[in-house]
Amino acid sequence: MSGTQRPGRPAGGRPAWLLAVPALVVVAALIVVPYINILVMSFRVPSTSKPYLPGFTVGNYAKALADPDFFYLELMADTLRLAACITLLCLLIAYPVAFHLARTTSRWKGVLYALVLSPLLVGVVIRSFGWIILLANNGLVNQTLKSWGVAPLALMYNEFGVVLALVHVFLPFMILPLMGAIQGIDPRLEEAARSLGAGRAKVFLRVIFPLSMPGVQSGCILVFILSCGAYVTPALLGAGRVHTMTTEVITLLDQFLWPFGAALALLLSAVGLAAVVLYARLSGRMMRGLA
Amino acid sequence: MTRLTLASLQKHYGAIAAVKGIDLDVAEGELVSLLGPSGCGKTTTLRCVAGFELPTGGLISFDSADVTMLPPERRDIGMVFQNYALFPHMDVRENLRFGLQMRKVPSAEVERRVDAVLAMVQLGGMGDRYPRQLSGGQQQRVALARALVIEPKLLLLDEPLANLDAKLRDEMRFFIRSLQKRVGITTLYVTHDQAEAMVMSDRIVVMFDGRIHQVGGARDIYDHPATRQVAGFIGVSNFLEGRLAGRDGALWRLETGFGTISCGAGFAPEAGGKATAMVRPEAVALAPAGAGEGFEGRIAERFFLGNLVDLRVAMADGTMLQVQQPANSGFEPGQSVRVSLPVERTWLVREDAA
Repeated sequence: MSGTQRPGRPAGGRPAWLLAVPALVVVAALIVVPYINILVMSFRVPSTSKPYLPGFTVGNYAKALADPDFFYLELMADTLRLAACITLLCLLIAYPVAFHLARTTSRWKGVLYALVLSPLLVGVVIRSFGWIILLANNGLVNQTLKSWGVAPLALMYNEFGVVLALVHVFLPFMILPLMGAIQGIDPRLEEAARSLGAGRAKVFLRVIFPLSMPGVQSGCILVFILSCGAYVTPALLGAGRVHTMTTEVITLLDQFLWPFGAALALLLSAVGLAAVVLYARLSGRMMRGLA
Repeated sequence: MTRLTLASLQKHYGAIAAVKGIDLDVAEGELVSLLGPSGCGKTTTLRCVAGFELPTGGLISFDSADVTMLPPERRDIGMVFQNYALFPHMDVRENLRFGLQMRKVPSAEVERRVDAVLAMVQLGGMGDRYPRQLSGGQQQRVALARALVIEPKLLLLDEPLANLDAKLRDEMRFFIRSLQKRVGITTLYVTHDQAEAMVMSDRIVVMFDGRIHQVGGARDIYDHPATRQVAGFIGVSNFLEGRLAGRDGALWRLETGFGTISCGAGFAPEAGGKATAMVRPEAVALAPAGAGEGFEGRIAERFFLGNLVDLRVAMADGTMLQVQQPANSGFEPGQSVRVSLPVERTWLVREDAA
């Protein structure tokens, strides 16, 4: 084997793309095939006694989009509103943390980094139960309030609890891309701006924030998508009183309305994707000088 | 035009002293270089003047106003960074507008001044380019323009030419110097490049280890270095150690291993004590053996440098002198020579800053 190798070909002459085959197989088996299955399912005729009846229909989509009370469209709007709310809160909380982590020279940096990732160390169900212990009507927070003579607050079985718990778990997905982007900003740009007469607020608005837009963009897209698709946390902390598209889809599956559930799931994916594309377009305009 | 005054400026980082008490006056319109090896405190000094570092002692004044504790945005300075620090998300004009907008200059005047400064740095057609679309030299000029367009009290340059290739660096030295003279702005210039400091400065401040060793013009510093470190950092020096035997008027007699030499001094050394004199390689005069006066020596090595030959001359006691002669001077290795050290080029240096 001498002198016959070409770029893109590892030793042995087999092309390098073969290395991507395991990943392609996984993606195909676990994402593409199920999605096709869902797509086909969404055009089947629903039945309450078996998965579906023979034949195909667009009735599922018609029912979702043309419901006389706009039930499903409102549910969609609620889901997107909730996801947007979680995304914005994550951004506001994550930015200072990411900025500090990106710029600190403290020897505790590693520990801080681990703390950022800590919400991901606990499974979603356990974490939700943790929040229930804290937020329930007779939970830790309300018991403490009661002992201080303060009237108990409704902290869960409502959007507050769901948003709080989801913001908690999605924070790392915002902090990490933000941190990467901020680390890439030369601290001397801040100094240059200050030497030119910009105070700290102006430095942030005119220099730091615009330059961190790639991180803001990817963090927001990640958190938004994850929020749209979250199920366990809204189900447990909302306990049937907070409705999102995902809880509705699962309810439909429980009722054996698989084709209709599939149609709703695909609508959510499509609308979420459209929102992301729109957002990427808008934020991309702010990044024209970068890259 | 502004006068800059530093009075016993100090900067400590914990137990480490980066700047150990600096006194300096920069006159109106003057360009003063801070020259020294890395870690000598020159950049820290500049950053204290800019306001990015708060000094742990001493005073900084612009004219008579104490600015020691003012944040950078309120000092009215223009700064050029080694890596230029142009805003990558703004085109050239936006970069130049930034400082004027911070000063709330009316937009018609902003455009007028941006046009003027673009013409001044010869970047007239480049206003809509982004920094990454410019060459290093062009970015350098944008950085200069951005610092000058706000008409600051003081121009601060932190190794502005270090990232340019050698040819461009030579051009930019003259460009920056002529621009600075034309604008007439008081300028503090940090560099580790002695040639750059000598070409560009009205005065050079040579720093080592947080202290000023010498302040003076380029010729003064080259011919009459104050300390051994200055003589070693700027140009090449031969150091001759010996005992001070006494003085004849303004000159001192230094007893060295190969004989007694006469030298000048910029300070009052202690007669009878140990001392060091310096002499530049090109100042040493050589003659064939037997002819005239001087000390005995022998050519040990010869290196051809094109316009010069670089010789190593072994003196009677084994001292090696580096001597430069015109390339056609015809001294051969092994040849015996007579070495004379011109008294006006032989100079006593201190071991450390005064």
